[in-house]
Amino acid sequence: MVISKAIRDQIEAENANYPRARGGLLAALHRVQREYGAITPEHATALAPIFDMTAVEVLAVVSFYDMLSSQPAGRHQVRVCTNLSCSLAGAREFLREIENHLGITRGETSADGRITLGHEACLGACANAPMMRVDDRYYEDLDTESARQVLDALD
Amino acid sequence: MATAAGVACEAEIVRITVDGLEYRLHAGPSLLAALDQIGVLMGEVDIPHYCWHAKLSSDGSCRLCQVEIDGQTGLQTACNTPVRDGMIVHTRSEAVVRARQTVLEFLMLNHPLDCPVCDQAGECKLQDYAWRYGAPNSRSREPRRKLEKRIDLGPGVVLDRERCILCRRCVRFCREIPRTGELAVFGRGDRSVIGLFPGVQLDNAYSMNVVDLCPVGALTSRDFRCKARAWQLESVEGVCGGCARGCNIWLDVAKGEVQRYRPRRNDAVNDTWMCDAGRLSYAEIARSDRLDKAWIRNQESVLEPVSVASAISEAARMLAGLVAEKGAGVIAGIASPHATNEDLFAFKRLLDEIGTENSGLAVPHGEADELLICAEKAANATGARAIGFEDARSLLERIRGGGVDGIVILGHDILTAGYLDDETLLGKIDSVILIDTHQSSLMRVAQVVLPARHLAEKAGTLTNCDRRVQRVRPALAADSELLTEGEIVHRLALALGLNGFEAGYDLPRVSRSLAAAVPPFAGITIESLPSDGAQLVSDGGEKGAVR
Amino acid sequence: MQKAPHVTDYLTRHCADDEYGCLRGFEAQGGYRAAHTALREMTPQKILDEVRQAGLQGRGGAGFCAGLKWSFMPAPEQQPSYLVCNADESEPGSFKDRLLLERAPHQLLEGILLAARAIGAQKSFIYIRGEYAEAARVMQRAVDEAHAKGYLGDDVMGSGFSHDVVVVRGAGSYICGEETALLESLEGKRGHPRVKPPFPAQRGAFDRPSTVNNVETLCHVPHIIGRGAAWFRSTGTEKSPGTTLFGVSGHVVRPGLFELPLGTPLDEIIFEHAGGVADGRKVKGVIPGGLSMPILPAGELDVAMANEFLQEKGSALGTGGIIVMDDRTCMVRTACVISEFYRAESCGQCGPCREGTAWINDIVTRVERGTGTAEDLELLVDICDGMEGQTICAFADAAAWPVRALLKHFYADFERHVREGVCSFSGSFQL
Ligand SMILES: Cc1cc2nc3c(=O)[nH]c(=O)nc-3n(C[C@H](O)[C@H](O)[C@H](O)COP(=O)(O)O)c2cc1C
Ligand code: SF4
Ligand code: SF4
Ligand code: FES
Repeated sequence: MVISKAIRDQIEAENANYPRARGGLLAALHRVQREYGAITPEHATALAPIFDMTAVEVLAVVSFYDMLSSQPAGRHQVRVCTNLSCSLAGAREFLREIENHLGITRGETSADGRITLGHEACLGACANAPMMRVDDRYYEDLDTESARQVLDALD
Repeated sequence: MATAAGVACEAEIVRITVDGLEYRLHAGPSLLAALDQIGVLMGEVDIPHYCWHAKLSSDGSCRLCQVEIDGQTGLQTACNTPVRDGMIVHTRSEAVVRARQTVLEFLMLNHPLDCPVCDQAGECKLQDYAWRYGAPNSRSREPRRKLEKRIDLGPGVVLDRERCILCRRCVRFCREIPRTGELAVFGRGDRSVIGLFPGVQLDNAYSMNVVDLCPVGALTSRDFRCKARAWQLESVEGVCGGCARGCNIWLDVAKGEVQRYRPRRNDAVNDTWMCDAGRLSYAEIARSDRLDKAWIRNQESVLEPVSVASAISEAARMLAGLVAEKGAGVIAGIASPHATNEDLFAFKRLLDEIGTENSGLAVPHGEADELLICAEKAANATGARAIGFEDARSLLERIRGGGVDGIVILGHDILTAGYLDDETLLGKIDSVILIDTHQSSLMRVAQVVLPARHLAEKAGTLTNCDRRVQRVRPALAADSELLTEGEIVHRLALALGLNGFEAGYDLPRVSRSLAAAVPPFAGITIESLPSDGAQLVSDGGEKGAVR
Repeated sequence: MQKAPHVTDYLTRHCADDEYGCLRGFEAQGGYRAAHTALREMTPQKILDEVRQAGLQGRGGAGFCAGLKWSFMPAPEQQPSYLVCNADESEPGSFKDRLLLERAPHQLLEGILLAARAIGAQKSFIYIRGEYAEAARVMQRAVDEAHAKGYLGDDVMGSGFSHDVVVVRGAGSYICGEETALLESLEGKRGHPRVKPPFPAQRGAFDRPSTVNNVETLCHVPHIIGRGAAWFRSTGTEKSPGTTLFGVSGHVVRPGLFELPLGTPLDEIIFEHAGGVADGRKVKGVIPGGLSMPILPAGELDVAMANEFLQEKGSALGTGGIIVMDDRTCMVRTACVISEFYRAESCGQCGPCREGTAWINDIVTRVERGTGTAEDLELLVDICDGMEGQTICAFADAAAWPVRALLKHFYADFERHVREGVCSFSGSFQL
């Protein structure tokens, strides 16, 4: 099974919160991505009947949201906010230094598959720039040194 | 029209003013839909639109259909503004004109300038609207977006992503009409593209309708690719002969050949759609197995080509001989559900005047669906039944019993499932006279073979599964050796010296006789038939075609 | 975890206190008292009237009167209907809802209970932007706690009113903050804003009547119900009562959140509360209400931060996210950053928005790099004209306004780029 029984059960339990199962789709996509690293066409095919949708619709939804991906990426998602407030606080220079440190540019995944680096729209940490999001965690008030430490500690 | 029905729903009728002209229309639907219902949209009332389509859910995203409405600030999209009584609409105000120009400029920004090689050129709404409403020159200096120029979506349809303006008509079509939902928009913002699920094709029975729907040249027909330019085509109104639905079509003609079929809107029959099989059936017109000359079996039992006139004389000679020798009861006729009402009426009269009751109708059957496709794979089985032809199976029994010595066969549908597996049985009949558009194995047992015109080459009417009588017109000029089934049997009747057949074959006269002689056709004549057809008057005692 | 505000008032007074995040700590500060009383003693209409009289304006950006919006909901017989809390906070420069979610989850739940009671909704959805994982965790824990205590679920607080709250996570898309895009997203679809009408109160989440309110809007409600409309009106301005959370970022000494009465002068917020411009520099321009709001030049900072006054200056309060730029800042680069954002985030359905955002970004980027012309600058204004008021949702306006305002107030910066062919603002941030 492309989606395990356990995950499927969790998805179905979550869906019960909504007047229509499809309300639980984003939660399910988050879950599948966390578990399998991406929402592949095979996952979409498995999910579609649960939500009374077509598989192509599932992938179209995935393609709309920045946090979802149909392609496997690095183990950790690192995103630096480069919106205006952060840019004013040097986030773009900061991002460049991170790129140098990791030896990749935004949009790329490190050769060891550890990190996919990206930049992102405002993350709601404007007063604490530069900042970055590593998976589900925020790191704020960073400088290059403290950012390096966080990144180097990732498995 | 002040019909009884019109009066009954008087309450829902509202009056609105568009550019100073008053219209009475139904309240409720959007302004575009209401104007479309009374047939003035894009005629008298000019509101250009891309995403809205009369037969799809509304979308409201292209922003082209904006109009000014008195009492409302800003412009409103006509495709989702409900009609209200007393509404005063302006479609030519300065603000509207400016809004259209800007919207068009936006949509043209990234559109490749490849009209010279685009199949849509000449019928492209972008080209058309840009010319009619647009700003003269794009002010953009930015490079145009580069995207995939040729994606084979499926067997029938090719996508050029650079040309797509993301109106989503194709997406809505797949979801709402065939309900197969193959297409979707992927990505977001200016990275949005139309696409399919990996490994899946746009391959449903109606897939090619997206080609007609697409307002630009983003979706094109693989079949039509590079065949002709739109302005070289002459479009003739017709009806598809593929099944009993009788979808209304345009036959697009260039260089003396039908280049394609396209659906023609008829809300009582096919809305704006047709199936892919029907669409591609135009190819049968010029197929290499078309019958283009008459044949007579000679002394050596070999078919040899002759003129149509001699073939008809020979057929008349055979039939007359049999009648004289054994009586009219040994003569039989098999009608074709592909022939027109007029052809069939002439044929029925031939048999009646000869004095035989041996007749039958063979209808090929196939898959049907919920949308348009009917099980009866011919356009006029209902008409044939209304005219009095009954299923051929009992006739075949009589033939098996040896009671038939001469037979006139229209078409070769008798060779389809449920009737005959092959021509062997008919080989036992002395005189087989075959009148057909295409070659078939029936020729092996025929003494006389007469070529007939295809639907695309003649005028007449057809009766669809819902008992709607619809007109076809000749899209192609046929050469003088190619006659309609009606005219052939008429000449045969004259050669036989039968009663009531006047010298020249005159289609309107045949049509009037049909209307006079066959009750369901009362009042329906080819000359009075509206372009969207008319219903047969009553049930006439026979059953309609099975869907 | 979001840091506590530098200046606090009733909304955020206890936000530095970790205990406040738990039900017990919240109740210790008087939390849920308003709900206890109101659910048992006030009719829904009474709650609605109180909020309406308080004149509470929505804090999600549009500033629409909350009580009025609630009154659009059909009679409770038309069940089910829903309350949707907009916690998608994605407007660049805004980070107030994050604080309220992470540090005062029960305050929001109490607001939700009261609002839901007023409009007769038996279920609420809190749609939290996907990146706010911490906020979602905290909110879910608070929902579970409230359930366990009988503050959610059947017969809330013995009042006979039943209510459930579902915490929903978005997945990374700014447009999902627009209320109808949010509803689509909540229904598991692509976040395409809906054509209005129908409005959410007619047909909202899952085709049912719904009200969408911002996190902060709902957080004010318990205070209004607890202390009355007159008390609420005693702060703020006549037309814009109450406090709000101003988020200050950019070139200031003390960036952060400040809970201050609406109508507090912008220069007071920047120079007194946020400590003025860093490095002893001068202000060049200030965006007063999140990235979408038109920038104000240095000379116009004496404005009271409320819509009625900001609108006179051609801007608006938006989300109260104040972005301060000092005199080294290149406004062409600023335009690049802004237009890059809107290009990335347009949902892409409307022609003028999809194409216009990209076109603006292309031109501005070219001007920044030095290959722009004077005609380009005129064209930019025309493009803004072609986008504003022409689309399904207000995103296109939000994308056009800042560019138009930058051109209006800092045309010289753009001309200088065109003339000199390079960015000559030494010390400006890099792209
Ligand atoms: C492009 C766009 C983005 C928006 N983003 C948000 C948002 O992130 N959070 C929010 O509360 N409102 C946002 N809004 C406003 C909402 O559409 C809606 O007005 C608000 O949630 C209503 O709540 P309120 O009346 O309590 O302010 C946005 C509006 C637009 C046009
Ligand atoms: S391919 Fe054609 S029909 Fe489909 S969205 Fe693009 S322009 Fe519209
Ligand atoms: S204005 Fe932009 S964001 Fe809003 S619906 Fe249209 S394309 Fe989407
Ligand atoms: S036709 Fe109305 S917006 Fe497209």
